[in-house]
Amino acid sequence: MNVGGAIRAIISFLIFVVLHYTLRPLLGWRAPMDFLILALLLASVRVRPATAAVLGFVLGLISDSLAPDALGAGAIAMTVVGFGASYLKAVFFADNLVLNAFFFFLGKWVFDILYFVGEQRVHGVELLQQLLLWSPLSAAVTAAVGVLLLFLMRPLLEPTPA
Amino acid sequence: MQRALRSNSRVDLIVLSSCVILALVARALPTTMRDPVATGMRRTFLAPLVMLQERAERGRQSLLQADAKQAHLDSLSLNSIKAGALETENERLRKLIGLGSQLKWGFIPTEALHGRGVRDETTVILSAGSRAGVSRLSPVIAPEGLVGVVDQVDPTMSHAMLWTHPDFRVSAMSPDGTAFGIAQAHLTGATGGYLIELRGVPFRATLKPGAEIVSSGWGGVWPRGIPIGTVLQEIKTTEGWARTYLLRPAVNPADVYSVMILRRDRLAKGFDGVWQSAAQVDQAVQRIVVSGDSAAKAAALAEAAARRAVLDSVARANGAPPLGATDSTGAPRVVAPRPVPVRRPPPADSNAPVRRDTTPRNDTVRTDTVPLRPEVHR
Repeated sequence: MNVGGAIRAIISFLIFVVLHYTLRPLLGWRAPMDFLILALLLASVRVRPATAAVLGFVLGLISDSLAPDALGAGAIAMTVVGFGASYLKAVFFADNLVLNAFFFFLGKWVFDILYFVGEQRVHGVELLQQLLLWSPLSAAVTAAVGVLLLFLMRPLLEPTPA
Repeated sequence: MQRALRSNSRVDLIVLSSCVILALVARALPTTMRDPVATGMRRTFLAPLVMLQERAERGRQSLLQADAKQAHLDSLSLNSIKAGALETENERLRKLIGLGSQLKWGFIPTEALHGRGVRDETTVILSAGSRAGVSRLSPVIAPEGLVGVVDQVDPTMSHAMLWTHPDFRVSAMSPDGTAFGIAQAHLTGATGGYLIELRGVPFRATLKPGAEIVSSGWGGVWPRGIPIGTVLQEIKTTEGWARTYLLRPAVNPADVYSVMILRRDRLAKGFDGVWQSAAQVDQAVQRIVVSGDSAAKAAALAEAAARRAVLDSVARANGAPPLGATDSTGAPRVVAPRPVPVRRPPPADSNAPVRRDTTPRNDTVRTDTVPLRPEVHR
């Protein structure tokens, strides 16, 4: 990735982070989209697994700092998701919107599973309900929004022709 | 090549393991250490994001509450509009109660239900009927004066003709009995407004503008002394043998909502002095209100003086000069330099309103004050 591509990727990443703290609370849905996961996934497929892991760790700490009781849970989940996304980029790195949507869906769902299990705040039926109902819904919304944003931000995210 | 790849994979795994271990450590931190870490992050590099989130949350709350706020504003506006009408109605009801206390008996308080259309202010439906003692040709009055007469009676309601009706007539006179006439509605079309004509006044009797006109009691329907209106001016008519005056009515038919129906048996007992007494009652109520105001003012002054005296005593006990204006000993006050400037705390009730009350008011203090005679000074 050349310098121009890196700058555009960073701008996209920042846009996603800002959207996470503006659009998401403004909508206030029960199954919200997760722009941090989208930002992490889009960045992870462009960097090495180690860098993706560090990026995930930092993003996780950022999200955890707003919920101190869960400090560390988001960091673990995002580290694993970032590393996994970067490691499996050979599988998912394709210019196919459906495949990208599945990639976003899977990333968000895995994150939620790791997060809620690591957070240990909800248990039993409530945890099952969260992981099997609300998390897939949230992942689906995230995937839909991610695909939409990929479509809208294609000029920023497309690799520069050599 | 393979060695390089293996080396890179090893680095990736080491970094991943380090991140996971750090995250687990963060997760395992006790609350006392977790909170400062999170707070520190929120207050430093995350502050802009937190601010963005707060604004977004506030925006969402505003959106959600917009309808409720609008409804609240509408209710407030509606209430403020109603408040004026309620005050007027309150005033009218007070007057009605005052009139009722003067009449003592023989009246039926009732509600007047208006109109079928615009400018149809010639009749009203009254919410009392024959079961309540209403009979045909019973006079309908308001605290201000004459309203109309009952022309149809049902068991539970009745129909009254207001003075604005073209067929309405009442024998009228000036209170001193120097001028008599027949009062009826002044019918000049839609733009004429609600005025009364006093017709048939003898040519030798002149009435000045502002003169009050009351019912004369002739005819057997209306008792004597009910206010009808006040003279505005004389108007020219074709009748050369008598004068006609235009009156401003005592009661505006559009404002009639609570009225009294006089029973026939009450009419025979007379109404002399009732409206004058009602006016006196009104003045007495005003005086009571004013006296209450004066008493409250005196109590506030006494309380402020007592509080000031206590503060002075405390200041003296502490060795400081008195803070207040009072000096119970009467000794000349020794003015000593204060080592530390003491700011006197303002008493809770000695703010601007109390101070404003210390100014003598003409309508309260002066009426109770007996002027000193010259010999007292000697």
